[in-house]
Amino acid sequence: MNIHTYEKAWLAASLLLIVGFIVTITYGSVGLGIAMIDDSEDTIEPDELDEDERFAEPRVEQVGENEYEAYVVARTFFYNPDTVEVPANSEVTFYVTSGDVIHSYSVVGTNLNTMVIPGEVSTMTAEFDEPGEYGVICNEYCGGGHHDMEGQLHVVPEDEFDMTELSVEAPDEVELGDDATFEVTVENGQLDDLETTIDLEVGNETIEEAVTVAGQESETTTIDVDTADLGEGDHDWTVTVDDYDESGTLTVAEELEAGDDDE
Amino acid sequence: MSETYIDRFPAEAKVVRSAFYGSFLALAIGGLMGIIQTLHRTGYYRFIDSADYYTVLTAHGVFLVISFTIFFLVGIFTWAITTSLDREVEDIRFTWGWYALMAIGITLTGIAILAGFTDATDISSSVLFTFYAPLQAHPMFYLGLVLFVVGTWLAGADWFRSWWAWKQENPGERIPLPTFMVLTTMIMWYIATLGVATAILLFLLPWSLGLIDSVNPTLTRTLFWFFGHPVVYFWLMPAYMMWYIMLPKVSGGKLFSDPLARVVFILFLVLSVPTGIHHQYLDPGIAEGFKFIAMTNTMFLLLPSFLTAFTVVASMEHGARQRGGTGYFGWLKALPWRDPVFSGMALAGLMFAAAGFSGMINAGMNINYLVHNTFWVVGHFHLTVGTGVALTFMAVTYWFLPQVTGKALWSRSVGLAQVVTWFVGMTFMSNAMHRAGLLGIPRRTAEPLYEGFEYSAVVGSVGELQAQIALGGLLLSLSLLLFFANVIGTVLNGKSDSLPANEYAGTLSGPEDSPRVLDNLKLWTGIAIVLVIFAYTFPLLSIIERGGLFGPDVIEYVPISVDSLPLLVGAIELVFANTLAAIGDGGTALLEGVTR
Amino acid sequence: MSQATEKPDGTGTPEREISHDEYDPVGTAALIGLYFLILVALWIFMYFVEFLGNDPTVIGSLMVGIA
Repeated sequence: MNIHTYEKAWLAASLLLIVGFIVTITYGSVGLGIAMIDDSEDTIEPDELDEDERFAEPRVEQVGENEYEAYVVARTFFYNPDTVEVPANSEVTFYVTSGDVIHSYSVVGTNLNTMVIPGEVSTMTAEFDEPGEYGVICNEYCGGGHHDMEGQLHVVPEDEFDMTELSVEAPDEVELGDDATFEVTVENGQLDDLETTIDLEVGNETIEEAVTVAGQESETTTIDVDTADLGEGDHDWTVTVDDYDESGTLTVAEELEAGDDDE
Repeated sequence: MSETYIDRFPAEAKVVRSAFYGSFLALAIGGLMGIIQTLHRTGYYRFIDSADYYTVLTAHGVFLVISFTIFFLVGIFTWAITTSLDREVEDIRFTWGWYALMAIGITLTGIAILAGFTDATDISSSVLFTFYAPLQAHPMFYLGLVLFVVGTWLAGADWFRSWWAWKQENPGERIPLPTFMVLTTMIMWYIATLGVATAILLFLLPWSLGLIDSVNPTLTRTLFWFFGHPVVYFWLMPAYMMWYIMLPKVSGGKLFSDPLARVVFILFLVLSVPTGIHHQYLDPGIAEGFKFIAMTNTMFLLLPSFLTAFTVVASMEHGARQRGGTGYFGWLKALPWRDPVFSGMALAGLMFAAAGFSGMINAGMNINYLVHNTFWVVGHFHLTVGTGVALTFMAVTYWFLPQVTGKALWSRSVGLAQVVTWFVGMTFMSNAMHRAGLLGIPRRTAEPLYEGFEYSAVVGSVGELQAQIALGGLLLSLSLLLFFANVIGTVLNGKSDSLPANEYAGTLSGPEDSPRVLDNLKLWTGIAIVLVIFAYTFPLLSIIERGGLFGPDVIEYVPISVDSLPLLVGAIELVFANTLAAIGDGGTALLEGVTR
Repeated sequence: MSQATEKPDGTGTPEREISHDEYDPVGTAALIGLYFLILVALWIFMYFVEFLGNDPTVIGSLMVGIA
């Protein structure tokens, strides 16, 4: 077969280009460690996400000193959790699945982009060095509200990051002279111990209690307030632990209505 | 008076005309959808609900890349077979039969899509051109596509019949190049459509009829892309055919190399199908190793296009120098730029060379994270099918329409304005789409701006990109109006007796210079099938084993362990046999469903 | 039909005939060489600036299980 010299040269150059492209991609994989989304996670039943420990309660979990896992469920037309918050200087592995149709989980302005297919769990691991706020969008058509489907990814400075959860049980009404019992539960999602203070402000009173919550544990502290110090009437209260607070109103009455006891 | 196509083949000319008119009708509908989308997405003019945007988009995709492209190509393939074999079709009724099947099929699908605009019926199919489960379309959508594809299969059979008959009467002769191109394209198409036929007949159509409860989304998606990549070559190979056998003549020269043209088409036949997984680089459920194999196959698929670039440009240069052109670059001026048939194809080819680059990026496995499902991809295919193919088809219409009607082109200058406007419009629109994609702006969305964040543009701004997209879209719409004006004007024109003869380019290096083995279609088909088996058997079995044949609810997997080779073959045979059985079952069930 | 007139339709009579052996597509070589250089430059830009500059990127996890 007659191939002109110039075309032979171009054939060689073309093969060089093709091989060069393959080599570049391979360098990205082998040299830089870029991994593709793949089938490393087992399949899952999209109708039974409640039975999967990760997706029954989508959340961020700390699994190592600077290692976190984020479990996300995509549905039409939102993500759960809507916002994923992780600290800077961490390695995060996302586990994302769908409860209905094919979606994507795509962090805008980054290379974190994965298809999310019902029946499959997508995993992506990334290192977050710097703090930043990113939008997350679904870029795979999923129905009439597809363009409204968005979420957030917040990488917060390390000293601003916590995985603390606060919940308070307090009575609505107490008889004058009795104690009002506040049960403050502080949950620490991080691996390291959390040393902090519970501030209870009720009426004019301020009570502080130091508390240490062990890693991935929760502590419930009981604070009793003598209602004789408060007096009769409605008293607003606020419980504050670090950046979290809960508020309510305590009613101190002369005589309780029948059946109304502390809650 | 020279012999035009309609003089020599009046009956076939009627088929070609009908194919063209069907194609142009689809182009009009698809184009109308396009401008609605462009103005809606960029925010300049919204008169529909954003939720309905996806119905518009489904129509745009299906009408343009299924109907417009494929009706056009069956027209020119009919021309190519009859002209190069110098032979009428074996049975014109059979020819009309496949045409009718295609027309009925696409009409059903079209109705299923367009019915989504109204609440008068429950029918809708806003699933986009890719119709990924668990999104579900109306059964008519799937059935229409099946009929359309079967129509194209019969078209291929028609052309193979012509070739076999010609071979009996011309033993030992080399296959004429246009026929060779048609046959290799159709073999590739037969292999490619197995994927989508399986997906629809075994799974999606029965599922939409309620005959099965669920499907495995990863499986149907993978079967779609088995077809979804080679379909682009089904569009491209007819355009390449035009560049190889029409463009040299129009340039005033000859095709640089017939043998290399054959090699290119063989490479497409062999390599087009085992690449589909490059559309699924970011899918869970498919191992990285399979994605890497798809990547290397895809990268080598660049080769026939690289070779085409050289051969086609060398053929144009030959014409230019025969017309008196000189110098390293000066010869370009000697080309017949005033002829819209020439300049349309030349501009299409130029734009395709640029498109090739974005394709090289898309082929890259890990760089896909940057561009997957962003507007970049949309920019890419508006350059490739939207210009490389579509503009070529429009340009050659100015030569073919006179040939099949016997009437002169209504206006050469309007034709020239049309091709230039398309090129300019697409430059603005597609360039902006590529840049927008790099910012992370997604494809396939009615509203690309979100509430919770802003895109950060290093160069320019989102607003500037939106403006260019809208401007480009408007220019493209204008170009379409010019095209339709010329088509209608030509059809309404009087008969002409100064039309050129029906012929295609001669060659500098002809088929006598090419090794006989190139014409051994059985060999190349065999190799193509082997490569497909290597690329797809393990991934498909893995998907079925992991997620079940019909999805997670119904664990009915093919009872095969991946290590067992003879059982592997059995599995493939099982799938093929099921396909044939399902055609019968599906047809019966549909009839029952309709007559209830 | 006359082909000698100044019809700009590309199928007019060529000024000269160039045979297979006389023809060296130098113009094509020049254009294709240019194209090659553009491709290399754009690829390097796209991969090393646009892609690698768009981090964070997905990497292999330290804790990836060998299934």
